[in-house]
Order: sequence, then C-alpha cells, then structure tokens
Amino acid sequence: MDHNIYLIGLNHRSAGVDVRERYALTNVEEFEDGLLEIGMREVMALSTCNRVEILVVCPPDMSDSDVFKYWAQRCCGSVSELEPNTYCHKNLKAVKHLFRVACSLDSMIVGEPQILGQLKDSYRNAVEAGGARVIINRMLHKAFFVAKRVRTETSIASSAVSISYAAVELAKKIFGELSGQRAMLIGAGEMAELAATHLLSSGVEKISIANRTFSRAEELAKTMGGEAVPFEKLYDHLSETDIIISSTGAPHAVIKARDMKQVIKKRKFRPMFFIDIAVPRDIDPDVNGLDNVYLYDIDDLKDVVEENRSQREDEAVKANSIVEFETLSFGNWINSLDLQPTIVDLFNRSESVAQKELAKTLKRLGDVDPKTHKALETMAMSIGKKLLHEPVAFLKRRTEEEGNADRFVDLARRMFNLDNDIIPPDAHCARKRKNNPED
Amino acid sequence: MTLFEIFQYIIIAFYVSGMAFFFVGTLKNNKMLGKLGNLAAIGGFALHTLDLLLAVLLYKGTVLSGGYFYFSLLGWSFILVYFGLWWKVRSTFFALTASPLALLLFIISLAAQSLKVTLPAHLAGLFIGLHIGTIFVSIALMAMAAGAGIAFLYLNNKIKTKANLSAMGKDMPSLNTFDNVNHWSILIGFPLYTLGLAAGFLWARGAFSKMFSWDPKEVVTLVVWFLFAFLFHQRLIVGWRGKKPAILVIIVFVITMISLWGINFFVPTHHSFKA
Repeated sequence: MDHNIYLIGLNHRSAGVDVRERYALTNVEEFEDGLLEIGMREVMALSTCNRVEILVVCPPDMSDSDVFKYWAQRCCGSVSELEPNTYCHKNLKAVKHLFRVACSLDSMIVGEPQILGQLKDSYRNAVEAGGARVIINRMLHKAFFVAKRVRTETSIASSAVSISYAAVELAKKIFGELSGQRAMLIGAGEMAELAATHLLSSGVEKISIANRTFSRAEELAKTMGGEAVPFEKLYDHLSETDIIISSTGAPHAVIKARDMKQVIKKRKFRPMFFIDIAVPRDIDPDVNGLDNVYLYDIDDLKDVVEENRSQREDEAVKANSIVEFETLSFGNWINSLDLQPTIVDLFNRSESVAQKELAKTLKRLGDVDPKTHKALETMAMSIGKKLLHEPVAFLKRRTEEEGNADRFVDLARRMFNLDNDIIPPDAHCARKRKNNPED
Repeated sequence: MTLFEIFQYIIIAFYVSGMAFFFVGTLKNNKMLGKLGNLAAIGGFALHTLDLLLAVLLYKGTVLSGGYFYFSLLGWSFILVYFGLWWKVRSTFFALTASPLALLLFIISLAAQSLKVTLPAHLAGLFIGLHIGTIFVSIALMAMAAGAGIAFLYLNNKIKTKANLSAMGKDMPSLNTFDNVNHWSILIGFPLYTLGLAAGFLWARGAFSKMFSWDPKEVVTLVVWFLFAFLFHQRLIVGWRGKKPAILVIIVFVITMISLWGINFFVPTHHSFKA
C-alpha cells in the first residue's frame, strides 16, 4: 500500500472541555483545503462540541505529525499541548474508529443519533470541496452502512436514557397516544419544564401550570401556550388532568392519597400518571396503591434510565462485533486496491462468465464431439482474455507512470463489480443533483 | 367430502401461517409480519366462511346436528371478532388470543365430526340460528376481553412495581388499549349474550314446551349472565376501568369455557355433544 489512512481526533474522553474549545475547527472547509495543499491526498474533518475527527489519506512521505503541526498552527496552539489530548489511529484502526463513531458507540451517551447526521453533513461538504475521493468515499459509505446495520440489528437506540424522555415513554405505555391527554405542572422547576416540553412535542393536548407564586405560573403558561391555575384550586383541576408533573419545594406532601380518592371517582376511574421529581417528594407514595393511578418519583425514573443505559451497554457489545466484521471486510477492499489482486479478480470474472456461457451453449447443442467442445471452450476463454487485455495494460501503464492508480483500480473494480456490492437505486442521485442544479 | 377435506387443510394452513406470523411478528417487533399475518387470516377466514356456507347448503338436514359444525362456527367467530378489534384499535396484538383459539376450535371440529348434538327434529331455524350465532360471537368477545385482561394485569403490575419495561416490545399496546378492548367487548358482548339467551329460552319453550328445565348448562349460563350483567353495569354506569373489570371478565370467560368443555361433553344435558 502506498498510502496511509490516519484518523486523528479528540473527544470528551481524551480532552477536557477547555482543550476541546481551543482546538475545535471553526472553519472546516478552510482546514480541509489547507491539508490538501500541504500534500494530503484526501481529507475530511468533523468538528462538534464533543469531538473533532480528522480523517486523512496520506502519501507515504507524510505522516500524522504533519497533520498535528498544521492543526496546532491553525488553532494558534502547540503540538506539545495538543498531542497528549488526542488519539491517532492508523489504517484499519482508523477505519474501525470511524465506524464506531458513526454507530454512536463512541458517544457520551451510547446510541444517541445526532452524530450520524453530523458525519453525513461533513462528508457531503468534503465531497463538494473535493477532499473525499476513492478511499474516504468508500469508507464513509461503508460507515453509514454499518451504522444502519447496527441500528436495525441491535436495540442500541431503542430505550429512553434521559429522565424526561423516560417519563414520556412511560406515559405512552399507560395512555397509548398522548394526543387528547391533559398535563399539569405543579411547581415550575427547570426539570419540570423540560419534561413538559417533551410531553407537548409528543402531542399532549393541553398543559396547565399551578405554582404558589401565581405570576410565575402565568409567565410559564405564556411561553408554553398553557393555562395558569391558582394553587388553591389544584384539586378542582386534577380531575381533568391525566398527567401530572410535580416539582415544588414544599417540605411535605402536596397531594395526599386520601384526597385523591374523590378525584378518581370524579373522573370516572380514568387513569392518571403522576411524575414526582421533587425532593422531598410532593406526592404521597400511597397514591401508587390506588387503582388506575400510577406514580413514579425521581428515583424510580433514575432506575429506569439506569437500566436502559446498562441495556445499551449490552447491545454495544453486539454492535462492536458488527463493527469488527465490517472493518475486516473493508480491509480486504483496501488491499485489493493494489494492482495485482485486481488483475486476478478481473480474469477470474471473465473466466467464470465464459464457463457459464459455454455450459449454456453446450446444453443447447446437445451431443458434441470432444474436438468441438475443446474448440468452443478455447474460443470462449480467449474472447474474455482479449477483451481484458487493453484495460489491464492501461491499469499497468498508469501505475508505472503515476506510482498510484487507486482511482483507476477502484473504477475498474466498480465497473466490473468485482466486490459484488449491492448498489442502492439512489446511489448516483447526489451526483446528478450536482450536475443539474436546476432540478 | 373430499372437496371439504382439501378446503379444510387449506384453511388450517392459512390459520397456522397466520398464527406463526403474528407470534413471530410480536416477538420480533416486526410490523411487516403482522400484516402478513392479517393477510393469512383474511384468506383463512374467507375460505372458512365458504366452508361453513357450503356445509349448511349441501347438508342442510344433518349439519346442524353435527357437533363439529358448532366448533367450527365458534372458531370462525373468534376471527370475526379479531377483525372487528383490529379495525377499532389497529393492533395485531389480539390475534395472539384469537388465532390459536380459532385454530384449536377448527381442528377440534374436524376431529369431532362423529359427535352428534341431540337436536330435536323440528328446528325452529330462526331461534336456533339467533341463539347460537349471538352466543358464539359474545363468547369470542369474552375471549378477546379475557386475553386483553391478562395483558392488562401483566402490564399494570409491571408499571406499578416499576419493573423494567424496555424488555417489552415497543409495539405492545398501552394499558388504555387493553382497557378499551374490555370496554368494547362488554358493550357489544353483553347485549348479544342476552339476546342469545332469550332466543334459547324462547326456542326451548317451543321445543321442550318449558322455558327452563334446570339443565346444568342452563344454570351455569344464567350464572354467567348475572356476572356479565354486573360487569356491564359496573363498567358502563359506575364507570369501572382497569383492573377490576379485567379480573371479572377473565372469571366470566373461564366459567364459560368450563361450561363449554366440561358440561357439553361430560354432563347429561340437552346441549350435550355426545352421540
């Protein structure tokens, strides 16, 4: 191989937030151009608040230290400060790391979906800027494929890992669709607000807010498009409310089980869901003992989130083995970019086609004498070989002239589909769109 | 009966594959399989309908006194009720109750072809049809409600005890859905059951010249009717929801099943399936 793939980066594990801030890439396009100018063959960079990933394909006379130097210089820092906070993966390790990032196995919250979108954006920009060519193209396509596979084959991203989201999931288990349900906030804390926003975006019909200071309730009601309720009339409104999020600073229970019995009767036993995120608790734990009333306090929700997290870790093991497998298969492809294996593959392909056609013809002819059989076979084989003579000579010439014919070898592999890829029907849409911008 | 035999095997094949699709689809959380299951169920149901119609048309005289016919009809009504529920809540979850029961009943109906129901010769067609049709559909509704009831109790317990829910499929219906099934089954099932009972008694007056003959089946059925009436009242007037009606409907269904299997086979009664 006459090139090396490096993936250099820093993330929330390798570097503190101050370093991440300082070495974030403010202008990714200029950064990529700069790296191409100093002689890198292919470049793609990604910079988010949690990580920087720089993927380069280096010619043999350059190495990761050139990238570090350039990076430190652009961010007005020094290599000695930057390097200990980063990681640097080479060749297949780089491939594997990229796959892990794409599958969100490397994220702070394993399984969160944003990173894949960010990676897709950076890739698109790199393609437009000309930084992504044969190897990075292939690598990113493969990364997206691996991410999709992980998503469908493991349940890594299927459970809630934040408290407010877990509350919404639970509400859905009780009520089904949340449209048509009414929610109420008792006390107007920040966490309650967050949960309320989640509920609203899941389709809750109406939200009302009860707070000891009525003006605060009114203020919050305005921002969320809800209704403020005087604290003294809390119980009157409870009978029309399905989901209650409580977070007051009261030292004793605000809602008591024995008062709830009246409310439940009044609402004809329709289910209610209480979410108590206050400490000390606002809602009498006995409420959970009533039929059709469900109560989760902050510890219960934390347990749910914790369990979901540990389940994700288990799924991550499965995902990792998918990543390992796909990394190996990518390694095979990289090796095949050398000329020799491609020539072998080409001739094998032609031979297998010739054999297949020969068998068909012989079947149609019925009995033929061995001499004809031999002649037909020779003819089929030599047509295949003759056809390949010119392309192979071309590839050899290019390799000799330029020292590197990755582009053409890859092209040949794709034209003859030597890797037996399944080509998605929209594979060339992006390019078409680029060529006909008016579409 | 060769035509019937072929027919019946095709119906069984449809129901078996439908059931397999439903179960695997629910376990694997795969919507596509649920749809395939529905298709298979529709195919099976269509042929099953045809089978029943042909049986009535071709063997008019004998079919109504063949025990197998009623099993087949009961199985058919399970699938019918399942489609009704599917239309209402769009969940294939209830096929998990309906498809095995329908399959079981259909296979039993084939095995039970030698069984004879002691029907008096002068069938008062309208009443017997009304009696059996309505009672069977309401039993199917009860079964569905009982299945939903078990699922409700299970999920309710999980949520109340704060157990880990993520192991369950995302497509498992909500508590509300199970409760709605209970509501609709009772709302439709009880009037049908009442109608069936009334038709039965009226017919009995014609056939045996007395309305109520202390037949064991009749006694149990009356008990079920009282329980059912109580449930209907509590659910629709008092507004019961959730756990209590779920438990009660399970009890009602269990008693009905005991009366269907136990009494019809082993106790001397004029509902007996014994030859």
